[in-house]
Amino acid sequence: MATITAQLTVNSDISDYGISINKSMTLTKAGTNQGLERTSGVQRAYLTNLNHVDLIKGGLAGSPVADMTVTGATAAKVYIKYLSDDTSKFVRIGLGNAADGTTQTANNGDGTFFEIGRLYGNEWMIIPWNGASNVGDITVQPSVATTADEAIVEYIVFFE
Amino acid sequence: MATTTAAITLTSADLLTDALSLSATNTLYKSGSTVGLDQTTGMARAFLTATTVVDIFPQLIEASIAFENKSSWVYICNKSEDETEFITVKICEQVIGKLYAQDFLWMPWSMRESANANNHHGDITVEPSVATGMAIEFTCINEGTEYPTENLATA
Repeated sequence: MATITAQLTVNSDISDYGISINKSMTLTKAGTNQGLERTSGVQRAYLTNLNHVDLIKGGLAGSPVADMTVTGATAAKVYIKYLSDDTSKFVRIGLGNAADGTTQTANNGDGTFFEIGRLYGNEWMIIPWNGASNVGDITVQPSVATTADEAIVEYIVFFE
Repeated sequence: MATTTAAITLTSADLLTDALSLSATNTLYKSGSTVGLDQTTGMARAFLTATTVVDIFPQLIEASIAFENKSSWVYICNKSEDETEFITVKICEQVIGKLYAQDFLWMPWSMRESANANNHHGDITVEPSVATGMAIEFTCINEGTEYPTENLATA
């Protein structure tokens, strides 16, 4: 059993009272105190066009998490970072399924796409991941990407 | 201008053959700029006693034209001490994942409105696994909030 720790620190002077978050979590299997013991390893996706594509597919052949057990009773965490020093550029991070092609579509609950949020240059996120087939893929679409100026997205998945 | 910084450190000494240590820090800016975010809901704490799905940011009008696609950051933490208890976090009714006891998430939020005919908005909702009482903490740090207008109607 492995011990994986995530430490989040957020500090802000946004108000007179400020905001201070200093929170640590140990990544565990669903409903237990046993640590997650599998990982995709740190991966990098090099995006060379503006296509809307799957970044991480749950439990499918060819996926970095191909051996992930995808059920509603398992736990997984995903960390994603957009590697760019340009804060005017971003990548759309979505939930759904981009496997139907390169067309960004709106969510309708049947396996297409809904935008969670945008990571601008140098921003990152960490979320739990359901990894459900069909509707649980994590998708990405860069605002700027060419073969000469790739959008680089780094990610790692921890799962059971 | 406010300055908000966020940092994450992911570590494990025994997951892999070699130690894992990954760190990242960034400043939260308004979309496409280097101007700091200047609005927040503040840190909220809720004690949920039903297994119903609740919208944790009702004061943010997700369909707002002014703030859709702007920069917003969300923190949610399940404060339960029971490792079997979790909250299911959804966006636009799609499950992102489950936060078990003491788990948190930190993510951007586009406040998108679905183009689907069901008129689903990009609400972020949570659903406790038990009705015996679960505490959660959450905040949104953002660049724009369109508050609901006064409504004094009682029916």
